[in-house]
Amino acid sequence: MEKTLYNIYKTFFKVGTLLLGGGYVILPLLQSELVDKRDWIDNDELCEYTALSQSIPGLIAANLSIFVGYKLKGTMGALAAISGMITPAFLCIVILAKVLEEIIKLQFVQGIFWGVGIGVLILIYLAIKEIWNKSVIDKFTFGVFFVVFLFSVLLKVSPAILIIAAIFLGVIRQFRISRSGSGGEK
Amino acid sequence: MIYLQLFLEFFHIGLFSFGGGYATLPFLFHIAETKDWYSAKQLTDMIAISSITPGPVGVNVATFAGYTTSGILGALIATTSVILPSIIIVIIISKLLQQFKHNPYVRSVIYTIKPAGCGLLAAVGVNMFLNNINLFGMVLFVALLILSFIKKRDPLFYLGVSALFGLLYSFVGFIK
Repeated sequence: MEKTLYNIYKTFFKVGTLLLGGGYVILPLLQSELVDKRDWIDNDELCEYTALSQSIPGLIAANLSIFVGYKLKGTMGALAAISGMITPAFLCIVILAKVLEEIIKLQFVQGIFWGVGIGVLILIYLAIKEIWNKSVIDKFTFGVFFVVFLFSVLLKVSPAILIIAAIFLGVIRQFRISRSGSGGEK
Repeated sequence: MIYLQLFLEFFHIGLFSFGGGYATLPFLFHIAETKDWYSAKQLTDMIAISSITPGPVGVNVATFAGYTTSGILGALIATTSVILPSIIIVIIISKLLQQFKHNPYVRSVIYTIKPAGCGLLAAVGVNMFLNNINLFGMVLFVALLILSFIKKRDPLFYLGVSALFGLLYSFVGFIK
């Protein structure tokens, strides 16, 4: 399939439609659609983009779509990919939002939501475990995790403030490493 | 001006959430506590809906919050705002890919920011757990947890099983 803007949009529309249950599902979907079926990018590139998408702000699925779209056809390709990705999500929610007030009163719908809420807790637990394995790798990172966790749970500090504090910590840490002359990370 | 507020709130969520879709949850709960756009209970329902509808959870909740506060235009603004930082940042990084990957300051910030994102998400997990759990939920949670230890499964598996038990539960009439 040719890499036209329309085809990029269409492909990401399909991936966006199949993307149920959180952003982590996007990787296998992109592997199947972009690497196997269309041969637009290779697996190594996809893995590199995934790692980058996780280390910058924003939704992983959105970041990854923009990276791949940009690689395929520059800035316009990036816009085509992200538009395709979010169109199904947007339509679905706008339609549901209209009827939600009505259906949420139904007993069995409440039951389903209650159950899905438990399922989401499991998915959050799995996401924490996945991120934990990649991020909490020594005493220092455990300390960062623990302090942020406490400030967030007990003091309800705004998440943005804690993230900005972590950014400063990272800059200061590297500044001290550079000054002490050892260079690079430990 | 509700549109400007929606833009600012969701733009800053897109800018500061690290670690995937659920990383937006701490910010969304913070909105529930500080603004009257939606309650924590409504947000929990929204998260459940987002999990069974297409698209990233963060985008779904943004659309939802925008729509409930100010209709279709609000939905468009909130959705665009949450992905706008990604568009700007990813395009800049794509242009400077090689320098970005090897810059020691960038690497150091990534090193400290990842566990911070993990801590935020863990805090949300604990809060949601304490707010929503009852005896039957605890049993279901532990059962699914054990299943997750045995074998890695598709996220849809957990959502499907828990939705089914929720449905049964509502027929038996034990709900809240």
